[in-house]
Amino acid sequence: MTAKPKLAFYWAASCGGCEITITELGMRLVDVSEQADIVFWPAAMDFKYDDVRQMADEEIDVCFFNGAIRNSENEEMAHLLRQKSKTMIAFGSCAHMGGIPGLANMYDIESLCQRVFDTSPSIDDSRGTRPQKTTTMPEGDIDLPTLFDHVKYLGEIVNIDYFMPGCPPVVDQVWIVFQAVLNGNLPARGSVLGADGRSVCDVCSRDKAETGFRINEFKRPHEVELDPITCFLTQGVICCGPATRAGCGTPCLEGNMPCRGCYGPAEGVQDQGAKLASAIGAMIDTEDPDKLQTILNTIVDPAGSFYRFGLAHSIMSRMKYE
Amino acid sequence: MSHLPTTITFASEVKAIPGGEHLELCYSCGTCVSKCLIQQKVDPAYNPRRLLRMVMMDLKTDAYLDPTTWLCSECDLCYEACPQEIHISQVITAVKHLAVEAGFTSPLIAVSVDEDLCSGCGICAMVCPYEAPSLFEKEVNGEVDRLSQVDQNKCMGCGTCVGACPLSAIGREGVTNTEIEAQIPTPESKPPTLITFICDWSLRAEDDLKILESYPPDQVNIVHIPCTGRIDPQHALMALDSGVRGVLVCGCKPGECHYKRGNYAATCKMGLLDSLLGQMNLPEKQIQFVQIGTQDRGRIRHEVDGMLSALFDIKEAV
Repeated sequence: MTAKPKLAFYWAASCGGCEITITELGMRLVDVSEQADIVFWPAAMDFKYDDVRQMADEEIDVCFFNGAIRNSENEEMAHLLRQKSKTMIAFGSCAHMGGIPGLANMYDIESLCQRVFDTSPSIDDSRGTRPQKTTTMPEGDIDLPTLFDHVKYLGEIVNIDYFMPGCPPVVDQVWIVFQAVLNGNLPARGSVLGADGRSVCDVCSRDKAETGFRINEFKRPHEVELDPITCFLTQGVICCGPATRAGCGTPCLEGNMPCRGCYGPAEGVQDQGAKLASAIGAMIDTEDPDKLQTILNTIVDPAGSFYRFGLAHSIMSRMKYE
Repeated sequence: MSHLPTTITFASEVKAIPGGEHLELCYSCGTCVSKCLIQQKVDPAYNPRRLLRMVMMDLKTDAYLDPTTWLCSECDLCYEACPQEIHISQVITAVKHLAVEAGFTSPLIAVSVDEDLCSGCGICAMVCPYEAPSLFEKEVNGEVDRLSQVDQNKCMGCGTCVGACPLSAIGREGVTNTEIEAQIPTPESKPPTLITFICDWSLRAEDDLKILESYPPDQVNIVHIPCTGRIDPQHALMALDSGVRGVLVCGCKPGECHYKRGNYAATCKMGLLDSLLGQMNLPEKQIQFVQIGTQDRGRIRHEVDGMLSALFDIKEAV
């Protein structure tokens, strides 16, 4: 009888959504726990980091690592889990490409802290309290992990064997990948898991614009009553579908919301945001050249719109921090 | 009252097509020829004045075979100059329309679609200045797939669709992503200070190109593109990422694009790229888009020198 595979789940800088998508498996999780040993899962079961440190190298068969690398604790755990795991999967958008936390790469730490601890509307603290790196307690000094100057994605600091995109990865795809893990038939290392080679536009059935249609104003989804059967771009709403990998099953489109790009760049796209700027920029109505800048200005947050989940993975982030 | 004999002349066929009715106003002054960049840069045999004469003289087959019928990109530099205010490109388009009906085809190399890569997003159809691409449905492996197709007779080869296509599914020999990316230096290949993406039409005179070529290759690299509509911000970022210090995109002045709207599409793309760099707090001066007009001979040296010294300033500041 072969031993059950040993699985680990870890969350670094993440919102917890990736953990929820795993629990969404419901009773199927019972099957997983019968066929595999879950040896580490801080979000759901009581394990300590020391339990992992005491494991032999490569004792874990498959580690599902979600979350970005924001601080020294995230980094330490990424290295530790890499060392202890035969197979490392970057699970979800944050581990894959920095995710939402990666948007912080637009700002320096001081201005982020000012926002979070001073000027946020929900903060009322005249003392200007900031977290301290070290606090002295009767039992001794306790340290907080060090915040890095920028957000990294998992593949930037350790070798990963697979990435599984999505914010979060949709539960149907999670189940397919779990079955592949349990049956020992994961594809060749380096492959993408739980996704598709095509782009979201390829699987979207919305009506496209007439030939020659151009955009003369961009609107945010809450500013317009969205037509449920027409391409979002032809409604002037930024949709990342053209440059985004398919495989999510298009829940956003079915909910009448544009693609936000969480499955990352489609095959053949080098830089998701720059490619979207190239595609969407060319679609702008040029009938009145004096209005180009006015139309461009209606894109409120280009970086947040085109790189919502991939800024830390972008060429610009590499240029800035290398 | 006797009936006058009616014959359908070539001229009357052309005039029956909207835009063709201006034909008879032409008195063959040749101002259009003096303005035409195709005549100057591509084919000396190209001659709008003569084409209009051919139509009036009923030389149908000669007109259909004439390069003027096929190479006009509707830039309309001649329209502004024509003392008779003839919208010459519309007359030529009318001739082209009849030529296509008669079974003649464009000699230009058009873009083509790789159906395996095409997602049917329709962006090519939206960005094309000539409405050459359109979507159609095709059964692939028992499923209806939406794909792009290109009308070879409408495509002028400007590459605006190639720059916009998210999946490299549309391309033309010489301007595919693979071919452009092969010209972007790698960190190993000792990147130059500046890489220039030059619209083939923006440097109107040979000596302008010679100025550009006179910079040593370790200082300035030149990538030729058919129109700045072809530019892809990805390529600008890839160049900087490889160690090139600056990217200069050089296109035509507003109103002077050879392909009607390519420089405007480039303005929007480069504007977005500027905003992205700004949001990332990266120096925006690293990437510049300059628009050189028909009257701006020699300006390229000023632009390149300016950019090289701006890059020097950025380096000093860091």
